[in-house]
Amino acid sequence: MKMLNIVLALVLGGLVSLSAHAVEQRPWHKEVIGKDCKVCHDNGIKQFPSDQACLQCHDVDDLAKKTARSEEDKWQNPHNNLHYGKDLPCQECHGEHKSKQPLCSNCHTFKFDKYKK
Amino acid sequence: MRKYDLLGRRNFIKGLGAATGVAIAAPAMALSEKADGVKWDKEVEVLIVGSGFAGLAAGIEAIRKGAKDVHIFEKMSYFGGNSAINGGLFAAPGTPMQKKEGIDDSVEKMVADQIASGRGIADESLLRHVASHAVEALQMTLDAGAEFHPYLQQLGGHSVARTYQTSVSCGAGITQPLLKECRRLGVKTHNRAKFEGFILGGKGNVVGVKMRENYHFAEDQPGKVVNIRALRGVLMATGGFAQNIDFRMAQDPTLTSEVGCTNAPGATGEGMLEMFRLGAVPVHLAHIQSGPWASPDEGGFGYVSNYSIFNFPHSIAINCMTGKRFMDEIADRKTRADAELACRDAKGEPLPPILITSFKDSKQHPNTAKVLKYNVGWKFDTLEALAKHFGIPIEPLKAQIEEYNSYVKTGVDKQFNKNMTKAKDKYIEAPFTVVRLWPKVHYCQGGVQVNTKAQVKDSFTGQPIPGLYAAGEVCGGIHGVSRLGSCSIPECMVMGMTAARSMMQA
Repeated sequence: MKMLNIVLALVLGGLVSLSAHAVEQRPWHKEVIGKDCKVCHDNGIKQFPSDQACLQCHDVDDLAKKTARSEEDKWQNPHNNLHYGKDLPCQECHGEHKSKQPLCSNCHTFKFDKYKK
Repeated sequence: MRKYDLLGRRNFIKGLGAATGVAIAAPAMALSEKADGVKWDKEVEVLIVGSGFAGLAAGIEAIRKGAKDVHIFEKMSYFGGNSAINGGLFAAPGTPMQKKEGIDDSVEKMVADQIASGRGIADESLLRHVASHAVEALQMTLDAGAEFHPYLQQLGGHSVARTYQTSVSCGAGITQPLLKECRRLGVKTHNRAKFEGFILGGKGNVVGVKMRENYHFAEDQPGKVVNIRALRGVLMATGGFAQNIDFRMAQDPTLTSEVGCTNAPGATGEGMLEMFRLGAVPVHLAHIQSGPWASPDEGGFGYVSNYSIFNFPHSIAINCMTGKRFMDEIADRKTRADAELACRDAKGEPLPPILITSFKDSKQHPNTAKVLKYNVGWKFDTLEALAKHFGIPIEPLKAQIEEYNSYVKTGVDKQFNKNMTKAKDKYIEAPFTVVRLWPKVHYCQGGVQVNTKAQVKDSFTGQPIPGLYAAGEVCGGIHGVSRLGSCSIPECMVMGMTAARSMMQA
């Protein structure tokens, strides 16, 4: 019986790691989050994370500082922009499991280096 | 540019197949239901759907009139709706800046301009109500901390300069301060909250709404529907439907997915459609306005729109085929949009016309640097270089500019009778800045009928539907065929304030 449990655990463990492999994840997040989906998926695994989920680790003010632009273009800072200030939820432009376009690209031709295209 | 397609029409017309279209065309069906036996999940005093100018102004005014528990629900993840991305242009008659600039204006003059642009079918009583309270609404934005350029602008179709513009040249210069003010006053704001339908009392009165929480726009993710009771009523400030391609094509089949749109992605009109189901009177739905100042070289409203709105009074618009002017550059929006759409090449394909401005004049607007920097506009040192770049015949173009400059001198435009007041001493001279023009779907004149108390009228009884109010672009008939530029913000704010007052008096 004990043996069976171990075998079962190995098989299930294999399945879990297989499905985890199938999900795209940022390399730098793998180290911190590992395979514990619930770290981000605070509304349940089948739901999108809440707007607060990313803010467990990331600070909006720090992000705004990192992406600050020159005085002339200061409102093109995605983390502190003209239209929504610092209020824009992360998932509007960032997806952990799929690539997204910056919201600005709806109307503007700004270049953001980390976005392809 | 991101595209959203709630109803699947775009996939269908692009030929990806009807099956794909049908599969996507299954948003949860919103329906209103009776309150008998409804289990209330929440109860609020004032319930506002939508967080643009109208919703935010209503939130502030409700608190000022004594409401203790005001809630704004917003479908998108961010607040401000379409109001956060427009030009931030605010028309009002009899303002302090008009007095300073010696401009003689009145409620009557503004209403007359709007009726002319509306081709006679605008709702005069609503226009008069809005114009009469426009200065009050402007004051609300100032009290909340909005800042404006220190000059007035004269927009197309206005007989005098009466338009303020936020110092950031964007509606966000108003929505951001209003949102902060709402929160300071204790208005509760909820994002990712999608309106799903009304809940009705025994007499067909609106007593609450169904609201989907944790909603993710354009994603296949359901969230959870809750029943919210609204003690003083429900204000629908949900905006227009310019992004709902299926519905706008039902009104005007020429407005396909190939025609651009300046609106925020959430402008899809479900709130309006639900009010029609409830019995609201549909007015003027087919009158959908395109912005004649938009550029085909960027998505949405972008940078060019404000650049050209500012520059039209002292610029010339040129048809690239002929090298000649083809319209009064400050005619109302419909006149100009129609004229631009007629600019085509020998095969009949669209050939966007250009707007030529002297750099010395264009650079007065902060967007000029942005337009050049982001390659959505160009600067030329000579007329030859300009003509070559756009393939315009040089001789007619030269003659046209000379002719136009003589109108600048005399103050009389013999070609198109343009009002040359703001063009005084502004000759078209090198170096030039140039943008391309092509209309984009911008504003839905149509919507539900309201009275001057912002009550929504029932199509069978002609009486207000008790408990239901609407303000802003979701309302129809106010502007008629074509809305004048800078007349939406005062309308949204005044009608939002009006709705709050009506709710608090009811």
